[in-house]
Amino acid sequence: MSLLENIFMNAVLILMPIYLTSFVIYVIRAVKGPTISDVVLAIDCLSYDLAVFLAVLSIYFKSVFLVSSAIMLALWAYLLDIYIAKHLVSKEVGA
Amino acid sequence: MIDLIVFSIGLTLLTIGTIFDLIGSIGLLKFPNFYIRLHAATIGAIGGAVVPLIGLALIALSLGPDVLPNNYAISGACFVTALLILIVAPTGSHALAYATHKARVVEWNPVCDHLKEDEVK
Repeated sequence: MSLLENIFMNAVLILMPIYLTSFVIYVIRAVKGPTISDVVLAIDCLSYDLAVFLAVLSIYFKSVFLVSSAIMLALWAYLLDIYIAKHLVSKEVGA
Repeated sequence: MIDLIVFSIGLTLLTIGTIFDLIGSIGLLKFPNFYIRLHAATIGAIGGAVVPLIGLALIALSLGPDVLPNNYAISGACFVTALLILIVAPTGSHALAYATHKARVVEWNPVCDHLKEDEVK
């Protein structure tokens, strides 16, 4: 194991618990949120952070397949935003 | 030597992004209404996702193909994801804020609300 890889493996073990703590706080807001906009906002942040977490796991486990789902997660959060906005403005999701 | 410099920049960006993400999530939990929470959510999206993804791209670039197989593919995917989130997160937040204000879902007492005044006219 080279030096840089060793540093990265130890840094992930320090940094990722902080990241997972913020995941839990986002989930609390998504469950608690008084209006539907708060829920969608929390789910958005959760999806973007999940994309970052998948990229970290892809370097940690040395697998190239894990990182390809990060792009889909980012685009899915945008799709959720647009659909909910369309539904709130015009009370329907259509063309 | 250049590997060490690129790796240090990447690890610094990853650490900064982690701190930003924690601050954004605490703000999203603690702020009083939706329009103020939107501010914290954008900190969590840009500072907590774009910055660490660029850092991860630099880290994957600096590790080298013999340590990390397919490291150029991982680095490129991280960079593309960072670019996509940089474009997509403000657009989605803006659309959601506009729709929320239009549908009047949130109860709030602003000092002045010019958009509502324009709609009444």
